Amino acid sequence: MRRREKPDENRPITTGDLTVEGMIHAATVRSPVARGSVRSIEFPRLPTGYRGILPEDIPGANTMTCFGASIPVLAHDSLSYAGEPVALITGPDPVLLEELAAATKVLCEAEEALFSWESFSSEQVAAKRVAVLGDPDLAFSIAETVLEDDYTSKALEHYYSEPQGAAASYDYDKMAVWCATQWPYHVRDSVALVLGCKQEEVSVRPTRLGVHLDGKLWYPSLLACHAALASFVCGRPVKLMLTREEDFLYTPKRARSSVNVRTALGRGGDLAGLDLRIAINVGAYPLLAEEMLGQAVFAATCVYACPNLRVEAYAVLTNHPPMGPFGGLGASHSFFALETHLNRLASLKGEDPMDWKSRNVLHKGQTILTGEPLKDEVPYAAIAEKLAAMSDYRRKYACYELVRKRRGGRGEGPLRGIGFSFAYQGSGPFLSGEDSNAYTVEAVLDKDLHAWLRTSAAVGSDGVLGIWRRRAAKILGLPLEAISVVPPLTDNVPNSGPSTLSRNVTVVNRLVGRACEAIQKRRFRDPLPLTAKSVYRVPRPILWEEGRVRGSPFDTAAWAAAAVELELDPWTFEPRPIGVWMCLDGGEIVQSERAAAAVRIGAFDALGACMRERVDPTERLGHREEYFRYGLEPLDELPPISVAFLEPGRRAAVKGIGELPFNTIPAAFLSALSQAGGAPFTSLPVAAAEIIRATETP
Amino acid sequence: MTLSFILNGEDVSARVRSVDRLSDLLREHFGLLGLQSDCRGGRCGRCLIMLGGRLVPSCILPAFRIRGMEVVTIEGFSQTDEYQDIVAGFKSAGVETCGFCDSAKILATATLLERRTRPTNAEILEQLSVAPCRCTDPETLVHGVQAAAERRARRLYHRAR
Repeated sequence: MRRREKPDENRPITTGDLTVEGMIHAATVRSPVARGSVRSIEFPRLPTGYRGILPEDIPGANTMTCFGASIPVLAHDSLSYAGEPVALITGPDPVLLEELAAATKVLCEAEEALFSWESFSSEQVAAKRVAVLGDPDLAFSIAETVLEDDYTSKALEHYYSEPQGAAASYDYDKMAVWCATQWPYHVRDSVALVLGCKQEEVSVRPTRLGVHLDGKLWYPSLLACHAALASFVCGRPVKLMLTREEDFLYTPKRARSSVNVRTALGRGGDLAGLDLRIAINVGAYPLLAEEMLGQAVFAATCVYACPNLRVEAYAVLTNHPPMGPFGGLGASHSFFALETHLNRLASLKGEDPMDWKSRNVLHKGQTILTGEPLKDEVPYAAIAEKLAAMSDYRRKYACYELVRKRRGGRGEGPLRGIGFSFAYQGSGPFLSGEDSNAYTVEAVLDKDLHAWLRTSAAVGSDGVLGIWRRRAAKILGLPLEAISVVPPLTDNVPNSGPSTLSRNVTVVNRLVGRACEAIQKRRFRDPLPLTAKSVYRVPRPILWEEGRVRGSPFDTAAWAAAAVELELDPWTFEPRPIGVWMCLDGGEIVQSERAAAAVRIGAFDALGACMRERVDPTERLGHREEYFRYGLEPLDELPPISVAFLEPGRRAAVKGIGELPFNTIPAAFLSALSQAGGAPFTSLPVAAAEIIRATETP
Repeated sequence: MTLSFILNGEDVSARVRSVDRLSDLLREHFGLLGLQSDCRGGRCGRCLIMLGGRLVPSCILPAFRIRGMEVVTIEGFSQTDEYQDIVAGFKSAGVETCGFCDSAKILATATLLERRTRPTNAEILEQLSVAPCRCTDPETLVHGVQAAAERRARRLYHRAR
């Protein structure tokens, strides 16, 4: 094994850099059809040292389960998307392997594939959530104003730091697996199922994760299964590394969504009825579908007070590659649609959206979807006030609105607009109960007064490690250097669950604190070393029964508002953001500069999703041309971003804030664009040609 | 064919095929893992090297093209004073990267500072767009490059005196 000279717990080796003595490579043979079954697989003449691996070579189960859904490790009888893995080829030269995989003939019985999802049949529904409060039909029948719109968002590429990959090798009596994953214990359990061995016989050694945006939640487990299977069959260490292009074309993307929003306003212009129909295209397999729907439903209903509401949310199966989370598990779809819609509604009523929302936001004690009263006050007033002061929002909105109304023809006058959006980020447990394990963090204080934190939680940056270490150091009264985080090998650390929904800074951070407090209580009574475990029991899941919902939607919630100001190029109509402002109530902010940098990074990603980044799946999720066209927004074309935090209360907890830019900025951007262009826009990203077309329409 | 060139200040030679990419040669033959070869299309910037003082993506460069030329990778550059200036500047500004794009950002900064002793914000952001990564906070990065430029200028001034 070739390793860095100084092993650094914060910076483990990357999967791409990993080499093991005698290691060979693996390449994936993929399905050429989007739906059907495999009749036969004919490998080309394989040179010595090369070998093909088929589903019948799998010693255990040919399946991987995740959140209630299962997907084949190597598909055979039922193909669900073009590019689905059907076989593997192993050998020493990765370049030759690519050619051999491309030359392999996969003969299939093709069936008619399903690609439509905005209108769908009942057999395509993988999961459904319905919630009703009050009498929405009556509210709409007596409403003074009814407004209805459809909002769509496209798929997005995670563009993580390193393409997905995995390596596997027998290490004495254990199968050692290396991959960059958000969930090491899921990798372990999946590999054990495929190899038909005990879970303890698999050791997962996570490699450097980097930026993942929830794209490495479950897919690394599939690649780990492939690498472990190849290693088992060949009896040698095997690495399977996707190229950027392969990763772009075949791995999960952000799910596409279509949200129909219908609102009814009463006589005073306040929200009297809300009716949402959310369709999320989850692609070929409904992994995390129920969770995404739950998050989307609560996001649509837990910000504004509405006595009569109905939400129907569907996870729709298609023959696209699997699609799912992206910087959050589904809330951003609803926030984008609802906030854009409410901004338009306020504008049509001649009111500043910030004021309209202020009148309609939920207050402590008001009933939410679950029938329970809201426990904490929504900090709307403080956030909106601060944001307005930072961005000069109110004056700019009034000016641009005046310009828009007086504009005579297309392109006349300054084409500027400013948009506002408000949202929350829930952190903590999954709502769906698909993940019902108890999660653990262990702390050890050894005889040298050095504390070791043991957790399988995967971190993408050093910032989270710093938060844990600071917390432990503060509780134990030790210097920061005396706190270490044990590398998260599944042999060494307890299962701390999947690292998503900002759990690392909420749940795991809390467990670190509790474990250290337990040590501190015994520290001067019992001899060293001392060990303490802290366990997080996932609360009871949300119950959905015939339109009624029961349970608690989130553990903690951080709130934020964003304002985006932009102008349109008078010749090309390309949108050019001028400034972005965000104000957050993120609870206790451990390191404000790092937190602000994290929010700015999220804001840039969210802006990229509004402007340049798009994957337009037709039959495949992406095409080669799209791969070459896809790119992040150049740094020099991004606007300045100002971030401010509200002063936390005395007992404020640490909250997750990473998803807030994705929950707020798209709606603010689209509202600004609508104001600048003088026409309503309802989908993102928007191409300049669409803006020109829309502004031509009277 | 056998190829001779200067790698990080040393004369080296290697046997290459006409199809070999420079990035593969550097990683696999010379074990220089500071550069990566993710996209193999010159887009991701993870494989940047300095070739004759210019920043180039090594994954689209045929290995045979570097015959007799001088190649500097992050491993070689890390032995220089300029590297120390940049790393110290980044650290003082709190630049945090994902660990995958560090080498590209450092080499991009080095070539920029070679051209412009006091680069503007726009020049910094344009130059660092060669290594697109979702980990980047442009504001901190600009401060980091400015701090590096300051340190470099101070060091060169003292040396000149």
